[in-house]
Amino acid sequence: MSSPVIARRPGLGSWLTLIRCETKMVVRDTAGLVVPIGLPLLILMMNSSAAGGEVVINGRTALDVYVLPMVITIVMATIGIINMPSFLAYYRRSGILRRLSVTPASPAMVLIAQVVVSLLQTVIGIGAAFAVALLVFDANPPLRPAATIGAALLAMTAMYALGMIVAAVAPTPNSAVAIGLVAFFAVGALGGLFGGRDSLPDVLARAGEWLPFGASVEVLQSAWAGVPTEPLHLISLTATIVLGGLVAAVFFRWD
Amino acid sequence: MESEPAAVDVRNLSKRYGGMLAVDDVSLRVETGEIFGVLGTNGAGKTTTVEIIAGLRRPDGGHVRVLGLDPRRERAKVRQVLGVQLQQAHLHHALTVAELIDLYVGFYPNPRPAGELLDLVGLTPQRTTRFEKLSGGQQQRLSIALALAGRPRVAILDELTTGLDPRARRKVWATVEQLRDDNVTVVLVTHAMEEVERLCDRVALLDAGRIIALDTPAGLVARAGAANLDEAFVALSGKELEESA
Repeated sequence: MSSPVIARRPGLGSWLTLIRCETKMVVRDTAGLVVPIGLPLLILMMNSSAAGGEVVINGRTALDVYVLPMVITIVMATIGIINMPSFLAYYRRSGILRRLSVTPASPAMVLIAQVVVSLLQTVIGIGAAFAVALLVFDANPPLRPAATIGAALLAMTAMYALGMIVAAVAPTPNSAVAIGLVAFFAVGALGGLFGGRDSLPDVLARAGEWLPFGASVEVLQSAWAGVPTEPLHLISLTATIVLGGLVAAVFFRWD
Repeated sequence: MESEPAAVDVRNLSKRYGGMLAVDDVSLRVETGEIFGVLGTNGAGKTTTVEIIAGLRRPDGGHVRVLGLDPRRERAKVRQVLGVQLQQAHLHHALTVAELIDLYVGFYPNPRPAGELLDLVGLTPQRTTRFEKLSGGQQQRLSIALALAGRPRVAILDELTTGLDPRARRKVWATVEQLRDDNVTVVLVTHAMEEVERLCDRVALLDAGRIIALDTPAGLVARAGAANLDEAFVALSGKELEESA
């Protein structure tokens, strides 16, 4: 008689190997690193010298309360809305997820590993921008650090949720990049990516403030400036997370 | 004493895609240690059948067990004992051979050592080559190595040697023969009659989703009154085509 079969899930070592592999995939996809790390730095450079000297509120300058929240949001949005779904769509399309599904690893392991790697990427992107702002342009740290970190985590989750919608509706890797870019520029444009929302028509400005990009900028801004966070923005980000989760649960396909 | 379950037990399997019956009342039983061939023309239902056995597709009807386990309801257990090489398996394109082997080896509790797997499929010189830079044959061999990473008791190999040059093909055949020596059960989907003759103990010949013959390779030749397996294949599957036309 043969021994009974015991179902064993891959252990910690296996998780670490997978995360290491996903990291290599991301690093070797050099083009994918330019946008989330290069673009925010560029925007920071272009806007910081003027904004650094202009105190807006509570001893915080325009650089602290306008430029940095925007830059941080761009890092999170490009990674969550464009990069993460394009990896998932590629893995699905190429059959990698299918191949993994006949091993003891589940495709969900890949999703989680991708989230871990993209969080690392986000930390590096934000860290680089913050370091440059601090060292070169005399930026000031946030007045409410804990609230700032909380706001960033909530915003990042909302970006992933939006990314999961992209991954769920995109039939091919190319369309995932295209839909991701359109979604990014849509929420970005309405959220102040190309200049203040004041110049937009009222309805659009309001919509932009509620959409995840604008709401992320707002919650980071208020935490940085040490003013109370508006519940509306927290509600909007939470709603994005719930909606993204629902859409992904219903429409996302592993193969 | 309870008898050992069959390595693969399929009864009255059916699968429908839209209006087309891809698998139609297929029954087969593969015994432990057997090398079992699944033959048929393109679209005969071979891949669908083995994908159902692997738990990748849900059957519309019938019963499937791998070593007595249900591939869908006991998925996690089946994953421990079943190794699968899929047709057109794509892997992380930017990872190297060694990285991919380490990754897949890590999924199993008692894997074959990475070095042994590399040797087995002759990819040791390519260990630092990225998957995307491998030739088709090398990708195929890597895919076989990964299917064997967890020391499976049953291996499903879909189009094992398609696209391999004659030398690489012989190397892969030797690997499969070694599996037989280790008492691993192999289900082999194939077009290559030479492969069937050399490796398979028994074969199922599928046509339009149904098994039209299930026999030893020599038995198939005798039944068709043919000179060799190639002719037997054409004669048997051809007849079926005329009937259905």
